Amino acid sequence: MSKVNTSKNNAFLIDMTKCTGCRGCQVACKQWNQLAAEKTEFFSGEGYQNPPAMSEYTFTRIKFRDYQKNGQNEFAFYKEMCMHCNDPACASVCPVGAFKKTAEGPVIYKADRCIGCRFCMIACPFGVPKYEWSKGLPLVKKCTGCYSRVLEGMKPACATACPTAITYGRRDEMIKLAEERLAKHPNKYIHKVYGKEEAGGTSVIYLTSLPFNELGFKPVTLRPLPDYTWQALRMVPAAFLAVGGGLSALSWITHRRDRLKHEKAAEQVDNPAEEKED
Amino acid sequence: MTAAKFVVNEVKGYHGFVKFLILLVVIAALASMVRFVFGLGATTNMNDTYPWGLWISFDVVTAVPLAAGAFTLGAIVHCFHIKKLEPLVRPAIVTGFLGYSLVCVGLLLDLGQPQRGWHVMRYWNLHSPMFEVSMCVMAYTTVLFLEFLSPVAERFGWNLSLRVLRWLEMPLVILAAAISTLHQSSLGTFFLIAVDKLHSLWYNPLLPLLFWVSAICSGMCIIIIEATSCHKWMGQPNEGVLLRTLAKILPWTLGLYIALRAYSLLALSVGPFFDRPVLTLLFVVELVIGFILPFFMFTQKSVREDDRRRVIAASLVVFGLVLNRFNVSMFGMMNPDQIYYPSIVESLVTIGIIAGHILFFVLIAKYFPIFEHHPETVDYTIPGRIRKSDNGAEPVSEQS
Repeated sequence: MSKVNTSKNNAFLIDMTKCTGCRGCQVACKQWNQLAAEKTEFFSGEGYQNPPAMSEYTFTRIKFRDYQKNGQNEFAFYKEMCMHCNDPACASVCPVGAFKKTAEGPVIYKADRCIGCRFCMIACPFGVPKYEWSKGLPLVKKCTGCYSRVLEGMKPACATACPTAITYGRRDEMIKLAEERLAKHPNKYIHKVYGKEEAGGTSVIYLTSLPFNELGFKPVTLRPLPDYTWQALRMVPAAFLAVGGGLSALSWITHRRDRLKHEKAAEQVDNPAEEKED
Repeated sequence: MTAAKFVVNEVKGYHGFVKFLILLVVIAALASMVRFVFGLGATTNMNDTYPWGLWISFDVVTAVPLAAGAFTLGAIVHCFHIKKLEPLVRPAIVTGFLGYSLVCVGLLLDLGQPQRGWHVMRYWNLHSPMFEVSMCVMAYTTVLFLEFLSPVAERFGWNLSLRVLRWLEMPLVILAAAISTLHQSSLGTFFLIAVDKLHSLWYNPLLPLLFWVSAICSGMCIIIIEATSCHKWMGQPNEGVLLRTLAKILPWTLGLYIALRAYSLLALSVGPFFDRPVLTLLFVVELVIGFILPFFMFTQKSVREDDRRRVIAASLVVFGLVLNRFNVSMFGMMNPDQIYYPSIVESLVTIGIIAGHILFFVLIAKYFPIFEHHPETVDYTIPGRIRKSDNGAEPVSEQS
């Protein structure tokens, strides 16, 4: 599936150590995508964050994590959003090809094609695509990577609003920048660029100071997910020909044997003497 | 008497159980209308964590292998040429046709945009197992429909179409087996993408092959159950002798399945395996009661030749298959903090689909020659008025 040259496309570098938890990105995202507000309550989810989860109305969300540092209570943050994988699982499983990895980086969703089967939601290792559960004829909703803005040469809404943590630019440059930061401050960061290799590489990459699993990052395979199904699906033509051909040959043999037996039986009826010898 | 009155009188004459089935189907039809009016969120227990619920797990992933009897038996009878089993073929084809039609119904209810179902044929995505299954299910439903036309043509005495259908029989049987192989296995491919979601007891790269082999096993077992119940409750002749032959094939396919399962678990899966007691229990029940026990039962001559014990063993396999599909598509994907269980609307629809299957089978058997099929007795000759023109020239049909 990876027809797109992924080194040229754009990526988000999100440095969670620089995030202040202002949630300007959440607001900017809602405004740009014209998403309705959600009625929320504090502590309705896992912790301090609100809304409790990403949904059809919320494409990105800052997750809060309490922890103690030198006896003081501290917050760590994690910005949840579509990872815009280089080789997206959603695009590979969609029966009508409603998802597409663009050359600019964002994975976009063509709502006019979608039949609403929700296979993308099963396939996505990050749990990103959400469904319009309230509607009679629902569609899928997810972060667009602000594709329309990127096409016009602007940065995505969340990256524009963020005062501290998000850098947006060419993916190879973002990875270089992340690795420079790791080299410069080895004690500040967990020594890992999340998204460099996860799920075959993503267009959203993270740096953090706390272990990734503690912040809520999902442990994902490094192999592009479409490979897992393709290794079986690529055998489809061969399986079709093998079963079809095998059974055709088998029927030809069994029918021929049957016919010969009948012919022999018919001969024996003509010559009753031979029949006795059997 | 008007047509409506005729129908009412006809229905009044049905057995009480058939009337009950009609009631269940009507309730399910109402429940599915509720789904479109109020939305999937309000009427089902599916959510963003569990985007697939009972409708996918049962109506699609389980119903498809349960309808595998048609292609399995077709191949056994016509390709392996075990001709004596032919009387079982028609009931199996009716079951398959009904099964697949109802899979389509279930799938359309589950889709967010059922009116766009045809998009699959317009926007191809060869990398999607769902694309492959949709195309195959559509193609195979058509094949089953053509095969099902035989008794219909017989019923109305359409001898010409009967001849065409008979000529098509072999190609259709082979096509059916090839298409079924693809989509039965691709249902397993669905879950290969759920790498870190499906529990290791079930996740392994052989999933497509395992789905195919187990579908063949359950297809044969469904035929055994079906023929036995038709004998018991519908006054059909006892096909015990034929089922005995079928039961002789089962230890081989079940044995192959168990061997593949053991190999995939020991050699191809990555643990942890026994970290969740509930899943361990489900796994043991599925494999031991659903596959290993009936395997040993079918190896016994006494079981194969006894109508009651044979149908018990077959039911165990069907139980094992259903549990396996639920384990893969539902239980094994669940996270322990948030449990999914089907809502009332979801359950009513699925119950209605099962009831509809039995209902339509009974009705078709009532009005069409499903059981009375003895190929040697059917008149396949072209009637004289088509065959011969008045002056006795060349038969018309032979020109084509």
